[in-house]
Amino acid sequence: MRLHPMTSLAAAGSTAVITTAAASWPLSLTVIAAAAGLSVAGGVARRMLPAVAVILAPLVLSLLAMHGLFFPEGTTVLVRWGPARVTVEGLHFALERAAQLSAAVLVLLLCSFTISVPDLVAALSARGVHARFAFVLASTLTLLPAISSRLGRIRQAQEARGLVIRPGIVGRAGAFRWQAVPLVLSLVEEAGTRAAALQARGFGSAGQHTSYRAVQDSPIQRWVRLVLVLAAVAAIAARLWQPTAGAS
Amino acid sequence: MAGLDVAFAAGSLTAVLGGSGSGKSTLGRLLAGWLLPGDGGTLTGFLELAGTRLRFTGTAADPRIDPGSWGRQVGFVPQDPSAALSTVRATVAEELAFGLENAGIDRATMAGAVRHAAALTGLTRLLNRDPATLSGGQLRRLAIGCAVIARPAVLIMDEPFASLDTDGAEDLAALVRKLVQDGTAVVILSQRADAFLHNAGTWLVLAGGTVAAAGTPAEVVAAGALELAGVVRPRPDTGPRPLAEAGFPPVVDGPPALELRDVSFTYRGTQRRGWFRAQPGPPADPVLHGLSLTVSAGEILAVTGPNGAGKSTLLRHLNGLLQPTAGSVLVRGRNIGGQPAGRVSGDVGLLFQQPRDQLFERTVEREVRFGLERGQLAADQAVRQALAAVGLEHLAGRHPAELPASQQRLLALATVLARRPPVLALDEPTVSLDGHGLAALDRVVRSTTAEGAAVVLVTHDLDYARSIAHRLVRIEAGRLLPAD
Repeated sequence: MRLHPMTSLAAAGSTAVITTAAASWPLSLTVIAAAAGLSVAGGVARRMLPAVAVILAPLVLSLLAMHGLFFPEGTTVLVRWGPARVTVEGLHFALERAAQLSAAVLVLLLCSFTISVPDLVAALSARGVHARFAFVLASTLTLLPAISSRLGRIRQAQEARGLVIRPGIVGRAGAFRWQAVPLVLSLVEEAGTRAAALQARGFGSAGQHTSYRAVQDSPIQRWVRLVLVLAAVAAIAARLWQPTAGAS
Repeated sequence: MAGLDVAFAAGSLTAVLGGSGSGKSTLGRLLAGWLLPGDGGTLTGFLELAGTRLRFTGTAADPRIDPGSWGRQVGFVPQDPSAALSTVRATVAEELAFGLENAGIDRATMAGAVRHAAALTGLTRLLNRDPATLSGGQLRRLAIGCAVIARPAVLIMDEPFASLDTDGAEDLAALVRKLVQDGTAVVILSQRADAFLHNAGTWLVLAGGTVAAAGTPAEVVAAGALELAGVVRPRPDTGPRPLAEAGFPPVVDGPPALELRDVSFTYRGTQRRGWFRAQPGPPADPVLHGLSLTVSAGEILAVTGPNGAGKSTLLRHLNGLLQPTAGSVLVRGRNIGGQPAGRVSGDVGLLFQQPRDQLFERTVEREVRFGLERGQLAADQAVRQALAAVGLEHLAGRHPAELPASQQRLLALATVLARRPPVLALDEPTVSLDGHGLAALDRVVRSTTAEGAAVVLVTHDLDYARSIAHRLVRIEAGRLLPAD
């Protein structure tokens, strides 16, 4: 059975919240392993990897630089350069935070890469979310392919008139300055036409909108969502009640 | 537009004919609620729909049209069918339902309406496809489906027959007959008085934004109003005609202008990216199978064949936009394999099928100048001559997107001519040209070949091919066959 998009969102959100609140090594590592395993099983690992690298690399590196080098409570010094000193406690703290952060980022990315956006849009509009917001959400998926195909067409037209573009990504990137202005102008022009079409098909009408796409849901999933949300709330409450729990 | 007085009765077929820039598309968009009174112009007079009369005086007190509720009564299919789509729906069925969703129709009723519209437009087997993966003909059917799903009283279609092959045109004709039988007032805007349009009850001929002639097809033809307005009249089908100049004398000295040796081509990759996910595309069958072809300087070769036979793919090989998987392409005896298309462009000029794909600059003049040597007197002269050859010299400062379709096509042709290539490759050059445009095209093709250029043109219009070409070949499923 397919997961309802709200169930995926609830699962990812509460996992991120609980992992952050618990701040425990084993839990963070388990969540990281589970997210990695699910992304491979779901066949999105290859597409997810660049996004993971772009988000996590700077975060983890800055954590290591900050806490690894400057951790006042650290006593076991490994290396020292003037005021900066690498301590075991500092490294430990940095790695722990990095694991916690990575776990949260990974589950949220996994959710965004596996969720069916058409289903999400349908589920949101069924819950009364404004049609314009749903349109913007769906456009995030259609915009990039539309822009790249338009770019390809402009490039071919220019090549047919003597613009020499060396094969490969470097050549194309170098030639992009010729396509930038025509690309933006043509997208603006197209947006005008599209707006008229959408208006004529009733997109701007104020009344109730319905959804043709039926998204499967079940009582079990509704219960699971409730439990997940309650668990997240409980984790936050526990953390506030006992601020040092888990932080060894 | 001025002094327009038109009415469309239920269950009637009306053809609005006129040359490029006659005001057809403006009239269509105005009637369909795509162009709202007051948006960048003023409207005076009245519009009456389903018994309600709206009076416009061109002032702020005018009634406002709600395009959504107007659109439920008047469906519109624009010249470019993809412009009518929402682009945010994952399947054909959902795209069809988009207008109903916005009207708040319940799901069961929508499902019935989607099935009915799909059956009417022949989309039943495509309901679960991503709209981004449809072909041109399928897109047009989807746009028509989106327009008729709410069962509007009036359906307006802008140039629906352009670039459809015989089969596609017959399907569309059957659909129009069915809609008219069911009581829809169908209005077709066209610059060609195609055979099917002789079934229309009324012809309105537009010229310069006013009705130049109106009446039954026979009356309008008898009045001779079509030619004056620049409407294209296909010649009556009198069977195969002899070629313009049978037996082109082969030029023996020097290599041929263009030579294809055993060219085969297969698209790489079987995956096609749709709007929502990578879809398994059509299996990677070869698009071209071992084509061999020679064109001499001064010769006009016409390549005909149905939609999807590989005609456009063949043309893209001539200037290096596509590289053959096997075989080689020689221009004036030189193999162009592995060369960037930009280097071949001086020798081979390609007119794309869609002017929208070829035009990208801000003014007509800049458009023609792109790629020519900057700031040289020779370039100025080339731009002037190219624009004069297609009769657009008075529009040099205009924005290409503002021009009517026929002039966009001529402008695209001018961009090719400005480089004076020894080989011209023209993809469906007659599509979207009006009568005056066709005359300009004819002049250009004949004069450039007289100066020694070779012309390869691809067309589904056999009649045109016979009227201009020295030699005809037919391409079917990627293989060359001798014509007839």
